[in-house]
Amino acid sequence: MKHIISRAVAIFLLLLFLPAPSFAQSALERVRKNGELRIGTDATYPPFETAEGGTFTGFDIELGEAIAREMGVRATFINAGFDGIFPALQNGSFDAVMSSVTITPERSASMLFSEPYYDSGQLIAVRQDTQNINVPDDLTGKKVGVQINTTAQYDLEKRAGVQVEKYNTIDLALQDLQNKRIDAVVGDAPVLKWMIFQSFRQLKTVGRRFTDEKFGIALAQGSDDLRRAINAALWRIEDSGEYNRIHEKWFGEAAERALAQTTGGGAGSRAFNFDLVRRLWRLFLSGLWLTARLAILSLAFGLPVGLLLALARVQSSKILAAPAAVYVEVMRGTPLLVQILFIYFVLPSFGVNIPAFWSGIIALTLNSAAYISEIFRAGILSIDVGQMEAARSLGMTYAQAMRRIILPQTFRRVVPPLTNEGIALLKDSSLVTIIGLTELTRTGQELASRYAAPLTIWPVVAIFYLLLTFPLTRVAEYLERRWRPVTRS
Amino acid sequence: MIEVTNVVKRYGPNTVLNNATFQIEEGQLTTILGPSGCGKSTMLRCMNRLEKFDRGRMNIAGVEVLGTEDKKLTAAEEKDLTRRLRAHVGIVFQNFNLFPHLTVLGNAIEAPVTVKGLPRKEAEEVARHYLSKVGLSAKEEFYPAQLSGGQQQRVAIARALAMEPDVILFDEPTSALDPQLIQEVARMFRALDDLGKTIVVVSHDMNFARRISDQVIYFEGGHAVEAGTPEEVFGRPQKEETRAFMRSFQDEDEAGNEADASEGKVEEVADKGTRLSLGQEE
Repeated sequence: MKHIISRAVAIFLLLLFLPAPSFAQSALERVRKNGELRIGTDATYPPFETAEGGTFTGFDIELGEAIAREMGVRATFINAGFDGIFPALQNGSFDAVMSSVTITPERSASMLFSEPYYDSGQLIAVRQDTQNINVPDDLTGKKVGVQINTTAQYDLEKRAGVQVEKYNTIDLALQDLQNKRIDAVVGDAPVLKWMIFQSFRQLKTVGRRFTDEKFGIALAQGSDDLRRAINAALWRIEDSGEYNRIHEKWFGEAAERALAQTTGGGAGSRAFNFDLVRRLWRLFLSGLWLTARLAILSLAFGLPVGLLLALARVQSSKILAAPAAVYVEVMRGTPLLVQILFIYFVLPSFGVNIPAFWSGIIALTLNSAAYISEIFRAGILSIDVGQMEAARSLGMTYAQAMRRIILPQTFRRVVPPLTNEGIALLKDSSLVTIIGLTELTRTGQELASRYAAPLTIWPVVAIFYLLLTFPLTRVAEYLERRWRPVTRS
Repeated sequence: MIEVTNVVKRYGPNTVLNNATFQIEEGQLTTILGPSGCGKSTMLRCMNRLEKFDRGRMNIAGVEVLGTEDKKLTAAEEKDLTRRLRAHVGIVFQNFNLFPHLTVLGNAIEAPVTVKGLPRKEAEEVARHYLSKVGLSAKEEFYPAQLSGGQQQRVAIARALAMEPDVILFDEPTSALDPQLIQEVARMFRALDDLGKTIVVVSHDMNFARRISDQVIYFEGGHAVEAGTPEEVFGRPQKEETRAFMRSFQDEDEAGNEADASEGKVEEVADKGTRLSLGQEE
């Protein structure tokens, strides 16, 4: 859970530094001109929002599309982790957030909300055999799981004696409850009901909704005209019966019957579900492809940058060596997650607007270059000083000696540690989920909650990572064999 | 040809070279002889600018070098000086420092191609010429690690010769070799002499120096104590320091290779031991 907490702290710090964006044109003008309403959503929350290979479904999704249609534009959904979704809204990554966002006074202080579009409330889920938890007061002294940064978390934290455990997605909280590591889970009523119905049959909900919450569409501050337009669209949809149709589709009795038929009675959370894998493997492939591109490009840029940094540090001029040393110190000493957030969320307020994919590449490159430079530096320093002296004594310049004599010997020595770094980079690339890139880990997150089947999805994610590291290791082995120094035969 | 005048070099409080002064004639083979720690290796490294010296003057093959305290050089002047000096002066290191990632031929053509800009073909011709001079024609596709210590030394000599310098410096050429090979090394030095090169050898091996040298310079305490032909220096040493060094050598011979009391000597003997184990299949 430590990881999650550090994420929350990082985002909080970033929010402090985020100035309100000042756009030349108003939010509504921008939406009209582009002909699209960009809606951010954390698609791991069925039945409100789920994603499957870039296709979004759910109540919020259909409602968002209906609103956009009323406004005469099209809706474009952008996937983002819930912990990064509000900073992304602030920095203009999207125009609105529809992600089962409860309207709270705290949130209202930093952003705008449309009229409420859904009445929700928190509900308690426990194991079937649990007898002693029925109302919120029973949670005192118990371990209770919630999704991070949700109103469930905020509500429970106000109650004395409740031990709150935070999870990235709600399916993980329910899985942990089923594994008996926690005593209860609190979350939005429809979501808990849907998930338990779908997969967690050993769990049940108890009592009634104990909070009264309203979902609203979140907008960046200053988007007043956009809010008016969205509210108007919402009213028209309610008047025309469109809203009721969508609500019935996702929460009516027909929806529950359809659900029962398609899943055939949720074995998903217990056993490994091969049918699901057979059906979804293409989606993993697209996540794999994004992870591969992130890792390969970052490594391809990180290697030369790292080499240059190492060269700057081993030569004698302080003018180059000192900045390189500072760079390495800073990049190694700060979390990669914060670097990603900085490039993606903070730079836009200085007029530097880099798309998510390239923000990820740049952060991973700059970070890995620091580590790579130390590997190269150690390699260079491991070459006997006699080699440089011999090369210089023959009349070579420092640069010639470095290029022709020192570096070729360095490269063959650093292949094993560089392989390590490459594999670490590959796995670190999962941190870019925070800026909404659906790479392999994020694909797993989405599918695990969409099908409420973490025990099926995560092993598959692990296998796909292996599929990536395996060829990397083979390439390294080949290079090592090819560059093996000639010893006595 | 080589003129060293009042050269002083200090490492912090230690004065390593203390008013070293000597001359070496063109085409001669000169051995700088002395106990370990006498500054002879530092002297040699100064002659190739691997080390700078603080004061004094050096003239090697027409290139004038002044102490850093006497004349401050800009980075560009320093670069130009080392380039000119090294074009005339090659060095063969004590442990050879061959490039392990290159073949024998690769070692010998690397500098001619990158420094002089010779076309590869031409550089290979030059390299092959000198490899045959040191008797290694059959080994040109071998890597250094596949060669014996003696063969490695000859590669290092061919590598230095391929740059066609006027002066070749040798740092302790016998210390890394099997005693049986010393005869052969001596023969090779005479062959090099025939190429008309000026050769400066640094050694603590009196017998070797006596066998190969035209001139011997006895070095102690960071300066040249006396200089002359081997007959003069070994037969009629003029200075007390020289006589003491000769005596210690004779004692050592009589004691039958017993380890010397001084630390430096012990280290050298140990060094010799490990290197010999590298192999000797000539």
